Amino acid sequence: MNLDNLKNHWQHHHSACGSEFAINEAILWQVKINKQMTHLNQMKWARIFESCVFLLIIFLLGQYIADNLSVSASFISASILIIFAIVGFAGNIGQIVLISKVDYANPVSQLQKDMFRVCSHKLQLTKLLLMSAPFYFAYVFIGFDVLLGVDLFKHLTLKMICFYSFFSVFLFFVMAVLLTKLDYKNISVVWVKNIINFVLGPRLVSLAQFVNKIDSNER
Amino acid sequence: MSKTKKRLFAQAMEQHKGIVFKVVNSYCPNIYDRQDLAQEILTTMWITFDNYDNTSKFSTWMYRIALNVAISYYRKDSKRADKTSLPDEQIVQIPDLSDVHQSEDITLLYQFITQLDELNKAIILLYLENESHETIANTLGISTSNVSTRLSRIKELLKKQFNKRES
Repeated sequence: MNLDNLKNHWQHHHSACGSEFAINEAILWQVKINKQMTHLNQMKWARIFESCVFLLIIFLLGQYIADNLSVSASFISASILIIFAIVGFAGNIGQIVLISKVDYANPVSQLQKDMFRVCSHKLQLTKLLLMSAPFYFAYVFIGFDVLLGVDLFKHLTLKMICFYSFFSVFLFFVMAVLLTKLDYKNISVVWVKNIINFVLGPRLVSLAQFVNKIDSNER
Repeated sequence: MSKTKKRLFAQAMEQHKGIVFKVVNSYCPNIYDRQDLAQEILTTMWITFDNYDNTSKFSTWMYRIALNVAISYYRKDSKRADKTSLPDEQIVQIPDLSDVHQSEDITLLYQFITQLDELNKAIILLYLENESHETIANTLGISTSNVSTRLSRIKELLKKQFNKRES
């Protein structure tokens, strides 16, 4: 087999297949958006909607903090939750910028990485939620205060406070390990793959594997 | 888009539409998917043609878009809307691979390419177009050493496949 001959054949095949390839220009000139771009636009609108929701949460929590300006369990809980809401809001703005920057003329590896970042938004939200898990009592304190008007912290015994604090510290370490591992770079780890598959679906698992393969070859 | 741009796009496409055919046939085993993918590639090129700035060859720009769309599309799952019903008015009419007159070598080459993974498919397609290792690396966003390593493995496999047929 001669590779140069094969290359020549291939390049001549170019004109042969092109001649039988018909383009309806009249319809093409009218096209302003296609399936992939429609999908990206839908994602952008979804992120804009989520940003509005985060903004509303930030506003409500801000108002709650302003109304409870004293060192109390409710004040600290709201302060913790507002940080997560701000992180969520900033992440969403980042996503909107990223979607606007998606360019199909970029090198393959860059576009595929961008696509993974854009499409794995649900995974980022899950991570944010998991990150707030060690502070789960912040939700409980605020819930009791807003819905029932009860300051739950005052009703907790020292033993219970110690138990919940220990559990929160334990959760913090579990989540720290979980969140550092939960990345496309660890897609070869079975449980990471299963979580990504569960949260994002098989298409994104395959995209993560592709991106990871490129990265590992470059290292 | 102005008439001049339409004319420029049409001219460039006329010259290079074989690229779309090759990418589509290398990445899509299903004939209905091929039609759909060709349409998606073509419309992406048309929509983004405004951003083409002549810094690279038109064929290289076309390859980047075609490969990016094909790799993204290839990954779509079977949930895609029914494959048997295509719109009445199609933007592109792509011939079936078997309808295009081609040598036995080309048929075997297509068979070989379809067996490769997504990245290696892109590498061999660009290599066969006589692109340099640097251009392949830039198009794919990987290092030239990675291109060289992968290419030598692909060539080895290719030789084996062709030698097997000859023997």
